[in-house]
Amino acid sequence: MTDTTYRVQMQDVYKDYGTNHVIKDVNLNVKNNEVVVLIGPSGAGKSTVLRMINGLETTTKGHILIDGADISQAHVDINHIREKIGMVFQHFNLFPHMTVLENVILAPVELKKADKAAATAEARQFLETVGLTEKADAMPASLSGGQQQRVAIARALAMHPDIMLFDEPTSALDPEMVGDVLQVMRKLAQQGMTMVIVTHEMGFAKEVADRVVFFDGGKILEQGTPTEIFDHPQEERTQAFLNKVLQA
Amino acid sequence: MHRKSYLTAFTTLFVALLFTLWPAPTAQAAEKTYTIGTDVTYAPFEFANEKNQYVGIDIDLMNAIAKVEGFKVNIKPVGFNAAVQALEAGQIDGVIAGMSITPERQQKFLMSDPYYKVGVVMAVKQGSKIKSLKQLKGQRVAVKTGTAAGAYALSVKDKYGFSTVTFDDSNNMYQDVTTGNSVACFEDSPVMQYAINTGMKLSIVTKPANPTGYGFATNKKNTALMAKFNAGLKKLKANGQYTKIVQKYLGTGSKKSQAAANKKNQETDRSFWGLLKANWGTLMGGLQETLLVTIVAIIFATIVGILIGLLGVLPNVFARGISTTFIYIFRGLPLLVLALFIYTGVPSLIGTKVPAFVAGIITLTLNEGAYTAAFVKGGIEAVDVGQMEAARSLGLPFGKALRKVILPQGIRIMVPSFVNQFIITLKDTSILSIIGILELTQTGKIIIARNMEGFKIWTMVAIIYVVIITLLTWFSKWVQKKVQAS
Ligand SMILES: Nc1ncnc2c1ncn2[C@@H]1O[C@H](COP(=O)(O)OP(=O)(O)OP(=O)(O)O)[C@@H](O)[C@H]1O
Ligand SMILES: [Mg+2]
Repeated sequence: MTDTTYRVQMQDVYKDYGTNHVIKDVNLNVKNNEVVVLIGPSGAGKSTVLRMINGLETTTKGHILIDGADISQAHVDINHIREKIGMVFQHFNLFPHMTVLENVILAPVELKKADKAAATAEARQFLETVGLTEKADAMPASLSGGQQQRVAIARALAMHPDIMLFDEPTSALDPEMVGDVLQVMRKLAQQGMTMVIVTHEMGFAKEVADRVVFFDGGKILEQGTPTEIFDHPQEERTQAFLNKVLQA
Repeated sequence: MHRKSYLTAFTTLFVALLFTLWPAPTAQAAEKTYTIGTDVTYAPFEFANEKNQYVGIDIDLMNAIAKVEGFKVNIKPVGFNAAVQALEAGQIDGVIAGMSITPERQQKFLMSDPYYKVGVVMAVKQGSKIKSLKQLKGQRVAVKTGTAAGAYALSVKDKYGFSTVTFDDSNNMYQDVTTGNSVACFEDSPVMQYAINTGMKLSIVTKPANPTGYGFATNKKNTALMAKFNAGLKKLKANGQYTKIVQKYLGTGSKKSQAAANKKNQETDRSFWGLLKANWGTLMGGLQETLLVTIVAIIFATIVGILIGLLGVLPNVFARGISTTFIYIFRGLPLLVLALFIYTGVPSLIGTKVPAFVAGIITLTLNEGAYTAAFVKGGIEAVDVGQMEAARSLGLPFGKALRKVILPQGIRIMVPSFVNQFIITLKDTSILSIIGILELTQTGKIIIARNMEGFKIWTMVAIIYVVIITLLTWFSKWVQKKVQAS
């Protein structure tokens, strides 16, 4: 039953908030090294899907497996699962009372992945990856949005995740900041990181995605390669959505 | 799992700290020691002299009887109502507090043979036109709660058509008459006489009515102590010691000798500075107690408040329920009710005494702790939910995420509330005077009970509070700056 070639398996997943059925029978599998981009109108349930993958939301029905382990099972340690899944939020969520470096080393040191010296050395490497070596001792509030988001990516990478989740990482940024963040994500994709990305950057999606999934009304309406979805969408709703975002 | 560890930590700490405060039971002495409650404001029967020692007819009589009967007494001036309630609750062994022997009291307690005969007199402001009960029609009269004189006033209230206003201690009742708010007050004759001797601008205008005797009260079962009291009283009357004690405070009968007797226990310089100098030590003693109670209460309330506040943000319905209920109950209860409930209500329930200091600390801990819990919870909730999600998404367990990410941010939000709460705690200690803790407010009451200088003494007390609160505010602002700068 469990297939470890899949990093993420969502099996017949439902999510209700009271009487609001937000996710309805979603089946979504993500292979190792695969880059999956989720698109769809506001309220379609994209964020909810991402948040369910690392257990920030529970499922109402169905199963989610990470590397074959069902995260809703009591004996599965959700904290351990989360160490393998990095998440990047729309609003960065850096810890404002810590310097950039402290943000990055907090989890590795607290979870005893490395001693402080080793974690610090490694953190500087990740900051170099995102192009922010010189900001190591700055406080988050003194950084631009784009810089903050790149720190957030470095912070997630510091735990050496197998999977990275991105929830609209650029939609809170000024247009001139978007490029730097996308550049970092592009690099990760090239290095073979397994990624699930929610974004409205259709050009970027086309370029990096192995697969594009169109969500609407809590369901997967259509999925395929970027060419299939962007150039030959089958569903009327998909066409309508793409027309709207591409015009904007 | 988290709830459990927090709960355990909370209970362990609280219980451990409480027991360090609870006085250890003293070893059985050869002579039995009885704890006797008395009033703080009932000169000449009990009052603190200018050296802040407890003196008065009741005190001297009790000590003399103990001596002739071979037992020891520990006399606690906790206030009349508190003493009676403490006796009912079994917190103390007896009450001697100018307590009139009435049928109601005889039903509840054992009452001794009368040791002093008194009657109720009416007093008016000096120079007042009112000379008799008949002239009280439509007027306001001041009475003291729980006294036989008060009961007498109420019994004739309808007949003479006056209204009453009640006070907790004699001085406030007298002041209400001298300021003209009320036209008259009722008081037991020797007490009224003492106040007038001391300079209260009142005149007695009626003959003593409703003659009764003052008696010593014990619990119904304590026949042993009662027998000793009655026997001792007889001996003192026979050997002349009784008369000596009474004359020491009230003179031999003439006004002059009364005034002379009175002087021995009073300050000679009645100016503000004279009174301040004479009472400086006493006031500072009260301040020390206030500060002690404040500091201990702040420590406990902060610990309890933080723990209860944290329970309120745990991802567990049961823990949050405890927190919400605690905050709801102890924030809702007036401090005064809580203090009396813990000091006099709880002991009658659990059957053990609760020392006033411990009762006071528990009261403040629960009340201030509830307020602290509310702003601790609020401070944590005010931290953006994204912070917790980001921390958890990195794999940090809830407890670590709370400690490393949420609390450091929450505390910055809470600091001003902590400062505010410390100041409120300091002020709230004054309410503990109701259970007889000898803090600053109670000290003020005691001094005034002796010298009747309400205005000057309350001014001193108020100034001391303002100075201390100002110092505390400065200190807090300094701490606040340090925290916010870091
Ligand atoms: N905590 C919650 N309680 C109740 N309803 C919620 C909650 N979180 C999300 N929803 C609802 O679930 C639905 C899906 O929300 P979700 O955030 O997953 O959409 P989305 O596709 O990410 O939209 P957007 O593009 O606006 O971010 C919405 O209707 C939203 O109102
Ligand atoms: Mg979303």
